[in-house]
Amino acid sequence: MAEIEAKTEVTGSVWKIVTELGQRVEAGETIMIIESMKMEIPVMSEEGGVIQRFLVEETTPVSEGQVVAILTT
Amino acid sequence: MNDHSKSPQPKGSKPEGWGPEIEELRFRRSQARALGGAEAVARHHERGRLTVRERIEQLVDKNSFQEVGTLTGQGKYDGTKLTAVTPAPYVMGLASIDGRPVALGGEDFTIRGGSSWSGDRKKGGQGGFVEDLAASYRIPLVNLIDGAGGSVTSINRRGHAVFPGVHGFERSVELLGTVPVVCAVLGTAAGGPAGRAILSHWSVMVDNTSQVFAAGPPVVERSLGQKLTKEELGGPQLAVDVAGTIDNRVPSEDACFTAIRRFLSYMPANVWEPPPTAAATDSADRCDEELLSIVPKDRRHPYNMKKLIGHIADRGSFFEIQPTFGKALITGLARMNGKVVGIVANNPMIYGGAMDVRAARKQIHFVEMCDCFHIPLIFFVDVPGFMVGKDAEAAATLREGMRAVYVGLQATVPMYTVVVRKCYGMAGMGTTDKNGLDLKIAWPSAEWGSLPIEGGVAAAFRREIEGAPDAKAREMEIEAGLRAMASPFRTAEAFGVEEIIDPRETRPYLCRFIDAAQPRIRTSLGPKAKYGVRP
Repeated sequence: MAEIEAKTEVTGSVWKIVTELGQRVEAGETIMIIESMKMEIPVMSEEGGVIQRFLVEETTPVSEGQVVAILTT
Repeated sequence: MNDHSKSPQPKGSKPEGWGPEIEELRFRRSQARALGGAEAVARHHERGRLTVRERIEQLVDKNSFQEVGTLTGQGKYDGTKLTAVTPAPYVMGLASIDGRPVALGGEDFTIRGGSSWSGDRKKGGQGGFVEDLAASYRIPLVNLIDGAGGSVTSINRRGHAVFPGVHGFERSVELLGTVPVVCAVLGTAAGGPAGRAILSHWSVMVDNTSQVFAAGPPVVERSLGQKLTKEELGGPQLAVDVAGTIDNRVPSEDACFTAIRRFLSYMPANVWEPPPTAAATDSADRCDEELLSIVPKDRRHPYNMKKLIGHIADRGSFFEIQPTFGKALITGLARMNGKVVGIVANNPMIYGGAMDVRAARKQIHFVEMCDCFHIPLIFFVDVPGFMVGKDAEAAATLREGMRAVYVGLQATVPMYTVVVRKCYGMAGMGTTDKNGLDLKIAWPSAEWGSLPIEGGVAAAFRREIEGAPDAKAREMEIEAGLRAMASPFRTAEAFGVEEIIDPRETRPYLCRFIDAAQPRIRTSLGPKAKYGVRP
């Protein structure tokens, strides 16, 4: 079982977490939405997996490249 | 590979008089083909890397390599009898890629790590024969870089220290204005070879086996006390993804050669020839239905700009350049009805498409390259402006952004502006063809201005908003009023934008104008004059 890091590609703040712990997501599926430059930028899973941990909560400020969730395959 | 070791010789006859010399020639060629010897070649293969001769063979058309300087090296003699030759650590010559001639060469890492070699005339590197060949015959140059350049040991050999620039970059610089230059980093490149990798129109490196830096880990540790691996200091994750020092990364040497052939397929042999037109394989009148719904009605929702490009360019023709760096902007070469075009598109998935310092750098190089080779540019515009915030200001986004605008306004190749959604401010200005037709077409989703309305209302109407009984409601009311007036159709009434089109019509519309621009391109060939001072 490999760990996958879901990272935000933009600096901003967490606007909405649209998945739940233990939920299975497929590659390309949105895990959470970051508000940046007045846009809703999705954080998408690069691979299919199950969400193990969220490292942020809604309204948390985030930086480009920051890991926001951990998944396992 | 052209193997002249099998020299023509009539069957059953002996070469008259010149037999010993022909034998010596064969021996010397066999020594050259052996590179650094079986052991060194095996070690090189164990590192997951091909030899320079294998690289050339895999890159070019079959049997098309005509080597130059095969016999260069250091002969060993027993009295006057030649016993062995250590070849010069650089292999180069003339070859064909997809039937078109190229000059190419690369370091032979199996001999002294591909370090520089001093003959009467340089073979490769700065100012070498291979650069002269590309410049003189006006054909593309491909550098297969796998060497660390000079060494302090050369002081021992020469008896003096070499002044920087004695083997200068002037020829390398000249080539950037005349013929396509491709550099592939296929091992560890430091010093001169690393610098040469940058002096290219397009560069590529291979995951896991290649690194590039100004100086390697020992120098860095001694200078700064930082202990880093080669990969940490100059692997593709840093050099390509973070720094944009090298343009693209590929998973293998095989993928590298495929990418080089692909890049060159879009390029003319030189700036005196038009870009190569291919037979049209995709209907110019194709109107993909998906384009109608690709842009969400909600302005806060991004969309996939790469999908949009795929629906408009000739199918499968988009070759992305710098896909992992400066991702707020997408750049790449493609074809429209068989004609080569450069595509610059803002990416709403990253900072809403705002131009940050990386996107600006990316746009500058790409626009200059297309302008140099007379490749028309299509801008798919969705840019809210320059990136804002303290980090962006500290990174000099304003300065790099204005450089991008300046370079765009100096370009003379035909450009097409397709406003998909936002086109604001100075970043928006840099997407227009001010030296040409200035043809701007827009989708109904388009909006433009000096700055986005929601960003400007609070500042411009501050007193009125603060004085209202319900400040927020008043702000929204003012915004709604301004937004109605900012409808793209109103600007079209004033011919401030030349056309508003159904998104599905984008491909046929662009193909018509790109086809029509071919005479202009054919009659504007040659090197581009450089003037002015980039801000």
